[in-house]
Amino acid sequence: MYIQVFIEVFYLTLVVVYFAFIGFFMWVTSRKSRGRREESKAEEKGAEKGMERDEKIWLVFLLVVAIVGNIVMLSPAIPSIRNVLWVNQVPEKTFEIFIENYEFKLPKYPVRIKVGQPVEFIVRTNDVTHGFGVFREDGTMVFQIQVLPGYDNRIVWVFDEPGSYTIRCTEYCGFRHSEMVVYDAIMVEGG
Amino acid sequence: MGPREKLALRFVLTAVFWLGVAGIEGLLMRAILAGMLSNIYGVEHFYGMMTVHPFVGIYGWAYMAVLGAFYYLVPKVLNKELYSERAAYMSYWTLLLGVLITWVSGYVFKFASLYTLYWPLPIVRFPPTSVLVFSIGMLLIFISVLLFFFNMFATIFLPQGEERGAGYIFKKLVTLSFNLDEIKARIKGVKDYIPGVYSYPVFIVGVFRGCVDTTLNALTMTGLASILAVFSLSSLLGFKLPTSLVDPLVYKNVFWWGLDLVADGNVLIYTAATWYFLVPMLVGRKLYGESVVRTVILADLVVSLFVWNHHMLADTPQPLALQIQGQVVTWGELITMGLTIFAVLKTIWLARPVKYSTPLKFILLSILGYMIGGSAGILQASYALNRYLHNTQWVIGVHAHVLLLAGLTLTLFAVIYALAPIITSKELDSRLADIHLVLFFSGAIIMSSAMGLAGIEGMLRRTLYPNGEYAEYMYTALAGGLLMAAGYLTFIVNFLKTYGISTVITVFKK
Repeated sequence: MYIQVFIEVFYLTLVVVYFAFIGFFMWVTSRKSRGRREESKAEEKGAEKGMERDEKIWLVFLLVVAIVGNIVMLSPAIPSIRNVLWVNQVPEKTFEIFIENYEFKLPKYPVRIKVGQPVEFIVRTNDVTHGFGVFREDGTMVFQIQVLPGYDNRIVWVFDEPGSYTIRCTEYCGFRHSEMVVYDAIMVEGG
Repeated sequence: MGPREKLALRFVLTAVFWLGVAGIEGLLMRAILAGMLSNIYGVEHFYGMMTVHPFVGIYGWAYMAVLGAFYYLVPKVLNKELYSERAAYMSYWTLLLGVLITWVSGYVFKFASLYTLYWPLPIVRFPPTSVLVFSIGMLLIFISVLLFFFNMFATIFLPQGEERGAGYIFKKLVTLSFNLDEIKARIKGVKDYIPGVYSYPVFIVGVFRGCVDTTLNALTMTGLASILAVFSLSSLLGFKLPTSLVDPLVYKNVFWWGLDLVADGNVLIYTAATWYFLVPMLVGRKLYGESVVRTVILADLVVSLFVWNHHMLADTPQPLALQIQGQVVTWGELITMGLTIFAVLKTIWLARPVKYSTPLKFILLSILGYMIGGSAGILQASYALNRYLHNTQWVIGVHAHVLLLAGLTLTLFAVIYALAPIITSKELDSRLADIHLVLFFSGAIIMSSAMGLAGIEGMLRRTLYPNGEYAEYMYTALAGGLLMAAGYLTFIVNFLKTYGISTVITVFKK
């Protein structure tokens, strides 16, 4: 299952939870049964400064979410970061791709790669900023990077599924941007 | 209607007009992406429209509305006169003209570099005349917002009736924005020092701290627009400056540093300030945790200065350490926004039972919009997930459009619904307002979610799909857009029914 599915499920779950929370909140706070306006603890004491207890608890909760979130997002569980932070992948093959006049110039067509083989793409251009995106046959994205003019834009990737992959410019680069697609540019074999 | 009220309404009504224009553009773009209208709108029109759409939406709608609201509210809250009404009208005309010229640059001169203006795209791909027209529009917009900021700072910091120089205002601004007086007092060991910022209402603190962000944004964008103007002018005069004079990576860093300040200054801090002002007024109790929210606004200001790297996670020449920093600092926005929402909800909670008036309903759903759009933003701002989400419809759908339409726009409408009766002594029809809210909010969520889910399926933003590859998602997004349009029209009907066309004419009369 692609990581995009997890993102989609996570997002939709959050939306449902948030809707339910705000709906419930509006219902509870509009009920007349309580009938009393409350003072917060600090207000009762006449305090002007400092955090109240429930504010502190909430702050701690937010801090924990932020710390855990960062740890998960930087963990090797997510393939895109595994090759950058956790595993020093030495590329077995390097493919140099040049972009000129709205065209990807590939070293050969198609580029052949084996499943599980670390490969490096170095994408260069001299005109404007482009993007280098690799897509599965169903259209979902495998990865993408920006291609800055005058720079070596590098990425090391390990394909874990055989198949035919399309490359496409992922950054708007002028009126012919949509034409920058090469179908079946990468063939991943084995597995 | 007094001059202050007239000024505010002129800004707000012009803003509502631009929202309509931005809405039509949005509908057209969704229709084109759904495979419709391709025989009417060509590639050049599509990208031209996409270039001017954010300028119309952000500067035409959001800035116009914010300027109008703050020109009215800031002097009212401080019980002072606005520093310069003349400068306020100048900012109105320059903003109106700036947005109009920017719009013309896209529609007539076919300038289509998109708002990102990544170097050297504008210079390499588009005629110098179009670049020059666009940069003049941009410069006018930022001259206008700089005029507004000076007017705000002078109104807030100058003692009534006293003449002091710009240096005095600047010193006050920097000292109070960053609590420098408190830091100085702590270094000196002064006990029980009450920072100067406590002498201002929370709303005003939000306004001037938000203005710091947006001033820095305006200065950066003025610089970039000047670069575009210089290059296009030199080209028109016959000597082409080499584009290698500007480094694309440095340019991109400066651009995103400056641009992201709008997201925090305008969207987050101004919104928070507005909630802090409106919610206590609407529920009839003081804001919960006032001292904490002042600190939260300061934290938001500081965080906003260091988050730009989350826009550059797909740029591999950018140092990895900066990218990780971009991710980590972005989570700081979860904390600041989380505390803001907590203070607002707790204020409502302590005031229960609450009668949900029209503006309060708008604020509650605006909070929901921020929760959804903010969560999506944090996901895409993680280094790892950005590999799959960068430049997809996810970013512009469930993050940007949810924040701007369900979050910011609903807050701005809350202000309009709350202030209109104060300004005009007549209340807008609450049933029509409910219909407006339901249609607009549900439309915004449907449209943005359809775009976001298309992004998950691999649909890119800033890309025309001539074969209608994601048509089913775009039809759903279009349906959402039409719901929003129906909500918008309900508001227009409500306004005209309540105040009549004569009010509109009065507002625009000299």
